[in-house]
Amino acid sequence: MSLESPESGQETFTHNVEFELNGSPERHCVPTSATVLDLLRNSCGKQGVRASCERSVCGACTVLVDDLPVAACSTFAFDIEGARVETVEGLAAQDGTLSAQQQAFSECGGFQCGFCTSGMLMLTTGLLRQNPQPNREEIRDWISSNTCRCTGYEMILESVERAAELAGAKQQDQASE
Amino acid sequence: MTGIVIPFTPHDSPIVGRDRPRLDSTAKVTGRALYTVDIQKPGMLHAKVLRSPHAHARILSVDASAARSLAGVTAVVTREEIHGLHSYGTYVKDQPIVATDAVRYVGDVVAAVAAVDERTAFAALDLIRVEYEPMPAVFDSRAAMDPSAPAIFPEQPFAAYPEYGDGASGAAHTAHNVSYEFRYETGSESVWADCDHIFEDTFTFSRMNHMHLEPFATVAEATANEIEVWTSTQSPFPMRKELARVFGLPENDIRVNVPLLGGGFGAKNGPKTEAIAIRLSQLSAGRPVRYCMSTEEVFLTLSQHDAILTVKSGLKADGEFMARQSRVLLNGGAYADASPLVAEKAGYRMPGAYRWKRIDSVCQAVITNTVPAGAYRGFGATQATWASERQVDLIAERLGFDPLELRLKNAKDLGEEFVPGETPIDSDLKHGLNLVADAIGYRDRRRSGNRGMGVAIGIKDGGGVNKPAQARVKVTTNGDVFLNCGLVEMGQGGHSALCQIVAETLACDPGRVKYAAIDTDNTPFDQGTNAASGIAVMGHAVLQAAERVKCSVLDMAAEHLILDRQSIRLDNWHIVDAEGTTYELPPLIMDRFGGTGFEFTADGYFKVRSSSSAPLEAPCMFWEIGWAAAEVEVDPETGRVELLQLVVSGDAGKVLNKLGCRGQDEGAAVFGLAQALFEELRYKDGELLNGEALLYRVPLAEDIPQRFSSITQEQGHGAGPFGSKGMGEGGMLPIAPAIAQAIADATGAQLTSLPMTPERVYNGILHARARQGKADSNA
Repeated sequence: MSLESPESGQETFTHNVEFELNGSPERHCVPTSATVLDLLRNSCGKQGVRASCERSVCGACTVLVDDLPVAACSTFAFDIEGARVETVEGLAAQDGTLSAQQQAFSECGGFQCGFCTSGMLMLTTGLLRQNPQPNREEIRDWISSNTCRCTGYEMILESVERAAELAGAKQQDQASE
Repeated sequence: MTGIVIPFTPHDSPIVGRDRPRLDSTAKVTGRALYTVDIQKPGMLHAKVLRSPHAHARILSVDASAARSLAGVTAVVTREEIHGLHSYGTYVKDQPIVATDAVRYVGDVVAAVAAVDERTAFAALDLIRVEYEPMPAVFDSRAAMDPSAPAIFPEQPFAAYPEYGDGASGAAHTAHNVSYEFRYETGSESVWADCDHIFEDTFTFSRMNHMHLEPFATVAEATANEIEVWTSTQSPFPMRKELARVFGLPENDIRVNVPLLGGGFGAKNGPKTEAIAIRLSQLSAGRPVRYCMSTEEVFLTLSQHDAILTVKSGLKADGEFMARQSRVLLNGGAYADASPLVAEKAGYRMPGAYRWKRIDSVCQAVITNTVPAGAYRGFGATQATWASERQVDLIAERLGFDPLELRLKNAKDLGEEFVPGETPIDSDLKHGLNLVADAIGYRDRRRSGNRGMGVAIGIKDGGGVNKPAQARVKVTTNGDVFLNCGLVEMGQGGHSALCQIVAETLACDPGRVKYAAIDTDNTPFDQGTNAASGIAVMGHAVLQAAERVKCSVLDMAAEHLILDRQSIRLDNWHIVDAEGTTYELPPLIMDRFGGTGFEFTADGYFKVRSSSSAPLEAPCMFWEIGWAAAEVEVDPETGRVELLQLVVSGDAGKVLNKLGCRGQDEGAAVFGLAQALFEELRYKDGELLNGEALLYRVPLAEDIPQRFSSITQEQGHGAGPFGSKGMGEGGMLPIAPAIAQAIADATGAQLTSLPMTPERVYNGILHARARQGKADSNA
């Protein structure tokens, strides 16, 4: 559960990482041992990226790297050089309008304590990009990479189904405009 | 209902009971929700602790001089730095801030360091030299009670415990390595003589980790005279009290702030990270110190209680239950933590949902050289329900009764007392049982192949004992509302539900009600967020505060408008008179109070009245019931159990928030499902083998049965606001026994130990076949 940036000068090896974060360019000098989690939480101020097990088991820290869900706690920061990284902070529109996934989780109660929610939302985003109309089985398989200790999962599965529905409707609206 | 006034409110309410997004939903889906782990302070230091590699060892020396002189280290806490400070614990105060005379389990904290960053703090830990003299250790509760086992505390730590009511008693240090013992007795011993059958069985209950995703974390700013913490706790006020005791300060010099919790499940009740962060801050000239555990450390901090439960039940030939005796040993680990409370409940809840003429129950919390055990979802009741319900099934099989019918025959009726002096049962237990049984088609089941079904019922007293709750509601001139109370939001949706009660009472848009941040300087007192007490207990305090505010607004308006007070009402921050004329409140208030504005404020308070005839000092507020039905298919070749159907049901009394109720029951059921089939802390010779996320298996979406549903009942007999009851623990209780009976129904294997791993199921099947063969050859 690291929050701190190591004291400057202590690290022998550092690395310049350039990447795109939620659509904006970022450039940071980080120790080679830094993880994407360290980088996003400590250097980029993305508090929505949650840290829990730090063993790539619980998935609370899931972010999208070039559309694919990745455990930020177990990915080296230098690995995202040139990549497109997305966190929960990038989901809502500029004016604060919630994305389909966010709206669905909110409506269907797909969270309780909320600590897994950022990861679950990014997982959902990744899934719907690959498969806009997943069935329950596909959702269950996909969501099974992350842990939720509160909901019993049913309400998360329903949230993902609803997210697909809302995203589909949004796309139709856009097409008809 | 004894000592409880049930307010009458019409059930067709416009706000309560509707499906609305939770208050915290936007913060949580946008990542903006603030947890303790997100708190940052300028100049903040980071703490790390050194933990014992020995299960039991005397500490000969601690040399931290090298660590102290490392650049970047601001403070080191060893036993030298905690002189004069007290140990903590519930009832039994046996846990020091860092180990003093000895270490008592692998992971016991020996020293702590604060440094400018985590890396330096870790480096400093490596420089601390501790000399140990290993001592024999004991891990199993039965072995620990043997007089030849090492005494884990050579001198008995300070203990204070309550006076109990009729039939109950409790005492600390009653036997070798026993921290606390609870007894309950009612009815005459002679009932046993009237029994036609007496059965005695022993059951074992495994141990789980809470695995709340947000670890234990505290940021502390402290001097010798003043302490402020931001911490992940379920109980801000008991925390303040305990810290005041530990540090020898007045309570008003300690301020506890509580952000959102990333899960608690009972683990976040007593001190965890607080005392270390505070002491380090005191020694670092008051600079803020953050102590946030890793998941591995969480595993070394608290667990559930494993248990050995021996139950003896006597009944008449027709299946009528008569007498029950139980002996329960809880493995409390190295320090008492909440063990005495868990012992109370595991002892008290042994009667289960049934009618007995004689009850004789003893529960002992045993000290062993393992991770301390404490409160864990449904505490005491999970252990008791496993043994109690399992034995009902064993008895049914022996006497040739249908397990469901045997339950229906003996279950208490609505309104029947649980034990003398206790609150009457406030749910129709049989209705709930039939409901879940019908939901899976229990009565029409075909026991073909290796499929089987089981049902079970779990019951626990809800709302806690001696829990006063206070609340304050404040309304601004413009009608914006602040609810101020100490209910901690840890995922259960309590903030949303309480705000709904306020909105309902003030007839205002729920969007106008805000739950104020919790800090013990400003928040009204509360005894803690646990025992499913949020809605029922705190709900009343909130309701009362809101009604008082409403009254003062109406009083003011009636006087100012010269209207009959009884003929006006409040609606959306307008006054409506008997003719339906509406008056906007803000101009009226400005007019009244000299054009500068005004805030209406009122307090509410609730506590169940104490009674010496209630065994636990006060009758419980409500009964929290969980019903479950399960269908399984067992592979007899491997012992693998596939859960085909699981239905869980709880009685909300009256639903305040549908999503909240559903989530509480389903979430609890999945805890139960995991305990039934796979989740456990595994030990070998006292060594924890799977104390980290990679090795410890918690349920995932793929573990949920294809057919999994919850039925939220609204039976309407709750003592909470609008007839509500607390939820969140009941759903866990009946799951493991229901699955166990489904396995027995499918294969004949009657399991008595958790979790029901393929190996245990397979051995159970072999055992059942052997019994069957024996029976056949005897025939």
